[in-house]
Amino acid sequence: MSDHKPSAHSVQTTGHAWDGDLQEYNNPLPAWWVWTFYATVVFSIVYWIIYPSWPIGNTWTPGIKTVTYVNSEGETKTHGWNTRALLMADLNKAAAAQKPYFDKVASMSYDQIAKDPEMSGFILSAGRALFSDNCAPCHQSGGQGVPSFFPNLTDDDWLYGGGYERIHETIVQGRRGYMPAFKEVLADAQIDQLANYVASVSGIAHDAKLAAAGDQLFHGNAAGCYICHGENAKGRQEIGAPNLTDAVWLWAKVPAAPTPEGKVAAIRSVVAEGLNRGVMPAWGGRLTPEQIKVLTVYVHELGGGT
Amino acid sequence: MATDTHSGAEPAEQYNFDIVKKFAVMSLVWAVVGMSVGVWIASELAWPFLNFDSPYFSFGRFRPVHTSAVIFGFGGSALFATSYYVVQRTCQARLFPDGLASFTFWGWQTVIVLAAVSYVLGYTQAREYAEMEWPIDILIEAVWVSYLIVFVGTIMRRKQPHIYVANWFYLGFILATALLHTFNNLAMPIDLFSMKSYSLFAGTQDAMTQWWYGHNAVGFFLTAAFLGMMYYFVPKHAGRPIYSYRLSIVHFWALCFMYMWVGGHHLHWTALPDWTSSLAAAFSILLLMPSWGGMINGIMTLSGAWDKLRTDPIMRFMIVALSFYGMSTFEGPMMSLKEVNALSHYTDWTVGHVHSGALGWVAMISFGSLYHMMPRLWNTRMWSPRMVEWHFWLATIGIVLYIVAMWISGITQGLMWRSFDEFGNLQYSFAESVAKMMPFYAMRAIGGMFFLTGAAMMALNMFMTIRQGQRENAAAVAGKLAHA
Repeated sequence: MSDHKPSAHSVQTTGHAWDGDLQEYNNPLPAWWVWTFYATVVFSIVYWIIYPSWPIGNTWTPGIKTVTYVNSEGETKTHGWNTRALLMADLNKAAAAQKPYFDKVASMSYDQIAKDPEMSGFILSAGRALFSDNCAPCHQSGGQGVPSFFPNLTDDDWLYGGGYERIHETIVQGRRGYMPAFKEVLADAQIDQLANYVASVSGIAHDAKLAAAGDQLFHGNAAGCYICHGENAKGRQEIGAPNLTDAVWLWAKVPAAPTPEGKVAAIRSVVAEGLNRGVMPAWGGRLTPEQIKVLTVYVHELGGGT
Repeated sequence: MATDTHSGAEPAEQYNFDIVKKFAVMSLVWAVVGMSVGVWIASELAWPFLNFDSPYFSFGRFRPVHTSAVIFGFGGSALFATSYYVVQRTCQARLFPDGLASFTFWGWQTVIVLAAVSYVLGYTQAREYAEMEWPIDILIEAVWVSYLIVFVGTIMRRKQPHIYVANWFYLGFILATALLHTFNNLAMPIDLFSMKSYSLFAGTQDAMTQWWYGHNAVGFFLTAAFLGMMYYFVPKHAGRPIYSYRLSIVHFWALCFMYMWVGGHHLHWTALPDWTSSLAAAFSILLLMPSWGGMINGIMTLSGAWDKLRTDPIMRFMIVALSFYGMSTFEGPMMSLKEVNALSHYTDWTVGHVHSGALGWVAMISFGSLYHMMPRLWNTRMWSPRMVEWHFWLATIGIVLYIVAMWISGITQGLMWRSFDEFGNLQYSFAESVAKMMPFYAMRAIGGMFFLTGAAMMALNMFMTIRQGQRENAAAVAGKLAHA
């Protein structure tokens, strides 16, 4: 540009003037600008030769770059460059890295997997990826759950049991938690009594007289609470009925209530309204058996029991 | 600058400056409104409680309020104002006809208000930068055709044989926007009395149509039009001729030709056919030098007046605008290459790129031009030159904070999403990448607050300038009467 610097006034203007003093020099195009433009033209032509680019009738120029991948039937295919083939090739690579581990998962028992130091690294990695993609939206990325919505998987409290087999069953089949609404069969006073009884077994300040009456109801057939929650109110994992004595609350908003009266009211609301939203989807069929096995061990590691 | 008092010397009826004043004022109003909403939604991402668990405050509804208010409200009004100013002055002709020009003002402002209200109520076509539902689209069409008639009508009345370069850019922008708006919004309402409509396009064609529109909105609305602004206000303010007439012709036509092809680069790694997106990628590279033609012409025009940069904040707005224009038109083609896009797509890098263009180029050139134009319209000087100085630094710091935050967060996102461990598993979950964004979202919101503060100072400064101008003119008239 130095050879045609406008400040030297060697360059002419176009001879027009607008709005008083607006003028234009007639400088030639800067040479570096022109040459860089030519370079982008060359670049584009090379790009078009490499990649699919120009449409011709019903087809297009395929480009010289190819991608090789193995399809779902196990056949090796080579295609002109395209994003789908590229994805397949990427998936092939990941699957190849994972295969020896998944093969081992299939042949080992849960205990063996958990005790094998080499496998624990894989479980931590694959389990975490599977958990993050499939489970974390409800149970959260650390498995801590959401009070009043999704169970915490890191504590020792298991609605349906925390052993390998039970966890496996939960993942494969899904679960559906349900409790009837007792306001349909009991009087308000009776529901108060039950709420006070449940508070009493989990160590929450309560009205002793009401609780004693609630005890009768709980163990009688009019309300029949014991049928699901057990004689000792410790729940029954076969049917997912929660333990009411361990001070772990999923549905009743007890921890959030600041006063004992509030806590009793939170219990009362569950007794009265019941519950029909404890749904966990079934993952059998959506994940492979090996993936579910990995998840089972992973979830067990989070806080499983026997 | 001080000696340049021509606007007062001309008879008032020669030009229609009333409409220019109206648009200029609304441009500042929408700048403050749109940028406030922008700061709000940026803060929502950093501190989600700001959603207040209400659909009316949610990011999804506020985001188009932000984009429409800044692009069409602020940017659009600034373009109407400057194009009406430039076309009259460079053609030495009054706007044709006044009534239609007035309709473009009231129509356009109605569009922005209706758009914002309808988004908050949940009405949207879900087409990016064209979220307005069909009744608003029809009003836009009417306004835009009127704009074309006024602009072309004025050019046809010109007393200058040659059409000044700024007007080509403005006209290119008006024509292309009419085309884009019409085809992108072809839709069938479900009922004559319903806001809801369905697009005539479906699936991949729909996506392609949207990005053909979306990228050309960037190309013609946010680039060509503001180059028109640049081509008048930069040489006018510097008091120097445009560097190269030839360059302006070549890059104008190259820009118009190339832009139309590149929309597909927004749809890399999607269901769009691969040939379409690689064609678009190559045209994006071809677009680099035509874009830079504008930057070169602007910077070389200023090059004899570097000394003014020390004393004149308006010149600084212009040179920073041109620099950001050059930077983002370099960054864009790079991001449109498939391999780079594989990292950048869906990340905050894209958001940063858009804002380096929108804040750095579009807003800065508009601020510079409005600072030049508005005191002249009211025949006075800026009320507080120091506030202009402050505005410049607040805006510049704000942009840098914004872009740096988005570069870091975008590249972090891209790298986290694609990293595999030695077992062939994804190393991070999506939620982990979200958690990592927190400090950068806070930094971006703070950058936005800087930029907004600057714009609010400008609005205040301009309000005081207008009042000062009105007082001075009233005093001058009173003085004349007293002498008579």
